Amino acid sequence: MTDINLFLVDDHKLFLTGVETELSEQFPIIGTAGDVDDAIAGIRRTEPTVVLVDVHMPGGGGVAVIKNVLETHPDTRFLALSVSDSPEDVIAMIRAGARGYVTKSISPTELADAVKRVADGDAVFSPRLAGFVLDAFGGAISPVSDPELDQLTPREREVLRLIARGLAYKQVARKLSISIKTVETHVSSVLRKLQLSSRHELARWASDRRIV
Amino acid sequence: MDTETRTEVEPDAARMIDRVRTIVVRRRDDRVIMGLAGGIADRLGIPDAYVRAAFISLSLAGGAGAVLYLVGTAIAIEGDEEPNPAPQGRQVLALILIFFGLMVFFRGLRLWFGDSWVWSGTLLAFGGAAMWDRTSLFDSSDPAGIAPSRTRIVAGALLLLAGLASFSGSISSIESLGPAITAAALTAAGFMIIFGPWVTSLVRDLNQERRDRIRSDERTEMAAHLHDSVLQTLALIQRTDDPKRMITLARAQERDLRNWLYGTEDGTLVGLRQSLEAMASSVEVTHNVPVDVVVVGDIPLNERNAALVAAAGEATTNAAKHSGAPKVSVFAEVRDDAAEIFVTDQGKGFVLDSIGEDRHGIVDSIMGRMKRQGGEAEISSEPGEGTEVRLTLPRGNQ
Repeated sequence: MTDINLFLVDDHKLFLTGVETELSEQFPIIGTAGDVDDAIAGIRRTEPTVVLVDVHMPGGGGVAVIKNVLETHPDTRFLALSVSDSPEDVIAMIRAGARGYVTKSISPTELADAVKRVADGDAVFSPRLAGFVLDAFGGAISPVSDPELDQLTPREREVLRLIARGLAYKQVARKLSISIKTVETHVSSVLRKLQLSSRHELARWASDRRIV
Repeated sequence: MDTETRTEVEPDAARMIDRVRTIVVRRRDDRVIMGLAGGIADRLGIPDAYVRAAFISLSLAGGAGAVLYLVGTAIAIEGDEEPNPAPQGRQVLALILIFFGLMVFFRGLRLWFGDSWVWSGTLLAFGGAAMWDRTSLFDSSDPAGIAPSRTRIVAGALLLLAGLASFSGSISSIESLGPAITAAALTAAGFMIIFGPWVTSLVRDLNQERRDRIRSDERTEMAAHLHDSVLQTLALIQRTDDPKRMITLARAQERDLRNWLYGTEDGTLVGLRQSLEAMASSVEVTHNVPVDVVVVGDIPLNERNAALVAAAGEATTNAAKHSGAPKVSVFAEVRDDAAEIFVTDQGKGFVLDSIGEDRHGIVDSIMGRMKRQGGEAEISSEPGEGTEVRLTLPRGNQ
């Protein structure tokens, strides 16, 4: 898996070093950055396959990095990695264009798997993110402008529930008697809905859940 | 030095106003009328009470002070710089001479309300100013300010007494007012001027003290909390060699801190979400196994939901203790019809019929708890495949 180049963005030096050590055995790490401007410039210069990006950084945070880079390099894949797991942060990163969100307590093996999955163009949903999505798309179904985008299918719900229960994609596939590829398709479609849905509850939900 | 080149080309009048403006400044805050006296006081570096007293005294000179004040206000600019350092003795003397020169000048111009009125008024104004000068009079944080303030109190009191005496002497000709009433009023006024500053500063000090105390209480409480939690945990982490234990400690601490920062103030458990988080935290601490909690929706905690949380707690403990899995997942979903909790581990699993008596008791207890509340528990496990406990509780008439 040496064809996946990694770029790390985090303003916490200690954490950056830690992740670098953990992942450098499996992936070439072609750059790191500690703030938003460095990150944008560095990613544009090195053109990595996957960028691991922190949410909270001075100067606009991970959302600014993702938005700016995607303007010029739409093929860059972002995986959000943060200590913060408040829903509005998660949703903001995903809507900015991140293909997944994992918390910093993730194990090194899981993180490496997540990087590979994102590099393949799939979405990475941690149990917590799956829970957030179920929460955001849950509730009474009010008239929605675009049923295709604003609602989850029953199958997608089932997949998310199983992920929220802590099952790996492989186990989800077995439980539902479908292939892993199908699970990945479902998750990617949920990601697309999360990014494109105009469902106004999504915004309201995120603000309702504001815990600070 | 570009000001010099500029002043050369400017007309004389404008230049003079410019010069005057270096002193005539209006203050932005702490104003009495327009902030002129305060602004000038800041510029000269003397307490504003004396400048105000000077304006009052000059006003007694046929209203000259009031006119000066209005003219000053008109030409003044708004200043916001720091007060200048206090002037030296020579400069203070110069200011006093300027003041008396102005007084005599106005007297010469016959802008005068009469000697007894003006001079007793001046004495009262400056006596009052000495008493009301707040800059260092009661400022105990400035030890250097205490000694001179004593002499100032005495000087102020003497000035006031002299003023009152000369004032009452001047109005004693108007005997018809009634000497008793006049004396009483003057005494009361004197007391007010003498003790007023003391009372106001006392009230101010008390308020300040209360604010400080509240702030320091908060800081103490925060320090105590951080000491009991974060510092203790950090100490524990330093003393342990077991990475697993380190992770558990760090996770529990993170959860605790998060709850403290963003949760309810007194830490009471208000909903299913929070009580599940708390349950997970205590299992983590006891058994050194991370517990991931994902909750969709939330309901307030009542007796039935508490039973649900307790059952989930037993299932989680069971998984942490016996499954050997690196972590336990708890997923709760509150729907319109029911609340459902899954406790899942990827551990070694077991054959339901083959488990020992001790564990059977726990399984029974989970089942029993749920049945009593009208819910149900379902346990599925296979050796090598992990265990899943599913708890369902109909919402009923909540």
